[in-house]
Amino acid sequence: MTVEFRRRVRRAVQDSSLQSALDRNADRRVLGAREAYASLPDLAVARREARAVRRETLDDLDMLLQTFIHNLESNRIKVLRAADANEAVGHVVAIARSEGAEMVAKSKSMVSEEIDLNRALDEAGIRSVETDLGEFIVQIRRERPAHIITPAVHLRREDVAETFHEHFDMEYTTDVQAMTAVARRILRRVFHSAQVGVSGVNFGVAETGTLCLVTNEGNGRMVTTLPPVHVALMGIERLIPSLEDLAPMLALLPRAATGQKITSYVSLLQRPRQPHDPDGPRARYVILVDDGRSQLRASDLADSLLCIRCGACLNICPVYREAGGHAYGSVYPGPIGSVVSPGLFGLKAYGHLAKASTLCGACKDACPVDIDLPSLLLRVRARFSPGLPPTSWMRMGIRLFAWAMADPIRYRISQRLARLGVSLLPRRLGWVRWLPPPLSAWTGARDFPPFARRMLRDRDLEFGPIAPTAPPRRGVESATENPLATASVPADPVLRFEQELEVLGGTFIRCATAQLPEAVADVFRLHKISKAIAWRDPAEVMNVVRRRLEQDGIELVDGRIDGGEQRNADLEILDGIEAGLTGAQAGLADTGTVILPSGEGKPMAASLLPWVHICLLSASRLFPDLKAWLTGEGREQIDGASSIVLISGPSRTADIEMTLTRGVHGPGEVIVVCYD
Amino acid sequence: MTQTVQLMATCLIDSLFPEVGEAVIDVLRQAGLQVHFPRAQTCCGQPAFNAGFGPQARAMATRTIDVFSESSDPVIVPSGSCAAMLRHGYLELFRDSPAQLARAQGLADRTYELSEYLVDIGGGLPSNSLSVGRAVYHPSCHLMRGLGVDRQPMALLGASVGRLSEECCGFGGVFSVEQPELSTEMLARKLAEIFSSGADIVVAGDVSCLMHIEGGLRKVGSAVRCAHLAQVLAGRPAGLR
Repeated sequence: MTVEFRRRVRRAVQDSSLQSALDRNADRRVLGAREAYASLPDLAVARREARAVRRETLDDLDMLLQTFIHNLESNRIKVLRAADANEAVGHVVAIARSEGAEMVAKSKSMVSEEIDLNRALDEAGIRSVETDLGEFIVQIRRERPAHIITPAVHLRREDVAETFHEHFDMEYTTDVQAMTAVARRILRRVFHSAQVGVSGVNFGVAETGTLCLVTNEGNGRMVTTLPPVHVALMGIERLIPSLEDLAPMLALLPRAATGQKITSYVSLLQRPRQPHDPDGPRARYVILVDDGRSQLRASDLADSLLCIRCGACLNICPVYREAGGHAYGSVYPGPIGSVVSPGLFGLKAYGHLAKASTLCGACKDACPVDIDLPSLLLRVRARFSPGLPPTSWMRMGIRLFAWAMADPIRYRISQRLARLGVSLLPRRLGWVRWLPPPLSAWTGARDFPPFARRMLRDRDLEFGPIAPTAPPRRGVESATENPLATASVPADPVLRFEQELEVLGGTFIRCATAQLPEAVADVFRLHKISKAIAWRDPAEVMNVVRRRLEQDGIELVDGRIDGGEQRNADLEILDGIEAGLTGAQAGLADTGTVILPSGEGKPMAASLLPWVHICLLSASRLFPDLKAWLTGEGREQIDGASSIVLISGPSRTADIEMTLTRGVHGPGEVIVVCYD
Repeated sequence: MTQTVQLMATCLIDSLFPEVGEAVIDVLRQAGLQVHFPRAQTCCGQPAFNAGFGPQARAMATRTIDVFSESSDPVIVPSGSCAAMLRHGYLELFRDSPAQLARAQGLADRTYELSEYLVDIGGGLPSNSLSVGRAVYHPSCHLMRGLGVDRQPMALLGASVGRLSEECCGFGGVFSVEQPELSTEMLARKLAEIFSSGADIVVAGDVSCLMHIEGGLRKVGSAVRCAHLAQVLAGRPAGLR
């Protein structure tokens, strides 16, 4: 296994394009996270809070699972449990078959990779299409994801261009926006025709039975909204106790993962479509996957289950940076992968991965929930090494070393023998140029120092104190202030909202309530919009705006997606519409977020399918941040809707060469008209 | 009253780099301390611990605890990784044996890395300037992240000494021979950084990392040399040997 790993590493370090891709990933992601962390009032406090939430979850997991399942079921979400990968894929295949599904649309889910879902569906004759741009690229290249957040991190734009040119009817181009547009077009058809949508889950809220999904491209919203059936796969540890716990988790996950304060979309899925909802799946399933987690939880590697899969430890890891994800030979690479892979899938097949670390500790520092990865890696090693054959040089070497160090006399004799042995070897400027195998692995790139003629212990030493020769303390303590935390933050929530939204590439317009109809009409005129999927909100403001737009001859469509035969036709029509007009339940000033619930006259499609999303937000509905909303009205809102989405700017991706691209699956333009 | 400290020289310094050990003793004496060097000490057990050999590591750890528990004086370790082993590693090794754990905790509580002791506890400091050239400081992983000791060596070295990135040099103990491909790539990155810094001397608080870095410098025929922090503070010439 180690041999195979080293072979893959050798290949990786010689691949210069892979190396430059990995360097770029590391540099950008590490800096991105650091900048995003700087916008937190206190990172140390945030980490402590987030860790405490995860700790509580692991401590009470059995009880929380019961509560979660109970709440899911009372929300009419069907729950299936899977002890292992086979059972898990069996459940998905059975659901797909019972729906007569020929195609399944998938959003990114590491659990689905873990259980090898695509292969199982393929064997069952069901086409499974990855819709996350990075996963989509990796799937058509018949590869595996190289990173848990950025699956195509190992590819250059030229590689992707080649792949697109080969597989789709398109001219060779390295223009990322053009490639993204092609993927958008192709995958729209997949969202239309897939009878089942499969997603992962970032956090399951036990006390409310809410599924929280954190995405950027919008494909996660598509697969959980458009197909008639949604199946969510989640590891049993992916819970948090209460709704309020979302605030600390969502403060850290996007920052650690992609350097964002918040992702474009945070979906809170509460139940399947209700009769009054214009869209949404008629059935939702949650498959709770154990696959080794219970056993891992009972072991001394349990802390690895605190992980929230942000990938920060991969980005910072100097070994990952050289080896890349594929070298690990597991769906979970990097430091966390080197613990959970042996922990979940067996020491024999994956234990050697824990040796691929210098224990430098950068991963521990980068981890948003402060997992002591070096200690866990050491624990894997402590289990792995006793299984080495007695004749392995490592085992013999350590035993010999321990014998020699067992008393000072043996130690001194061993030092002399080593000195004698080394003194016969070729040197340059005093240092040894070559050592015999297996130590030749050292001298391949490093000279080795000669052993001392007289050890320290054998020297004539003076031990008494002597007066200091110079005044004490010359150094000064360095300032530890954060140079990145300098950007000024407006106190006024509306100004704050505007600033945050514009950073995300959204457009902000502010007007008096009386001017709102005119302002919206201007937006429509400016964008030459003649037709929009529009909310029917009982609020008077929306009615006035609608009447004003209809005066201009703009066609407003309700955006209902019906089941059965009608579905495709409905989707076909809605897809041709260039704009969506919605209200907003609330806004979050510190992230430029609008919060949209589903419900009567409120199609999710309006903020998802069109290129332009125009959102009307009352200034009085602004909350300072997610925590304030959750502890305020959030709970009631979530409980009242089938689903809620938090939208922060346009749909986006950085899956191709870390190039930020807008409008992957969801809207490429978000215009918030704020009135007061 | 004069404070006595126990020196855990580390097996690497004792058997490969005694000149570094002499510099450490000099620095401690200049700080007004009486140094005690227990001759029964050997190795703290870190190599076995890191390689995953618990029983062997425990044997060496037990021995080290015994040797340094004969006196209750503070234990000074001129190495980030060995100090981290005493402070954190032993607690992990003995987490299932309460009696040993208590003794390990007792030792951990009075174990200090050299610069940490000098700055945070020790008081008077020597202030010799570097004997030659321009120096950069390499913040070694176990010292900076493992022990959280970073401002102390920087304070001792003063503002004229530059600083390399916080990325690991790729040593990692047995890692350097078990995963030579990775280790070498990481070292190459560190060397490139050293060359572009224009420094003549690389300073750190871990002789193991320095042995790795200087071994790499020598392999490529560079004249840049490494020096332990104590050698700089004691005003001794650079070069581990």
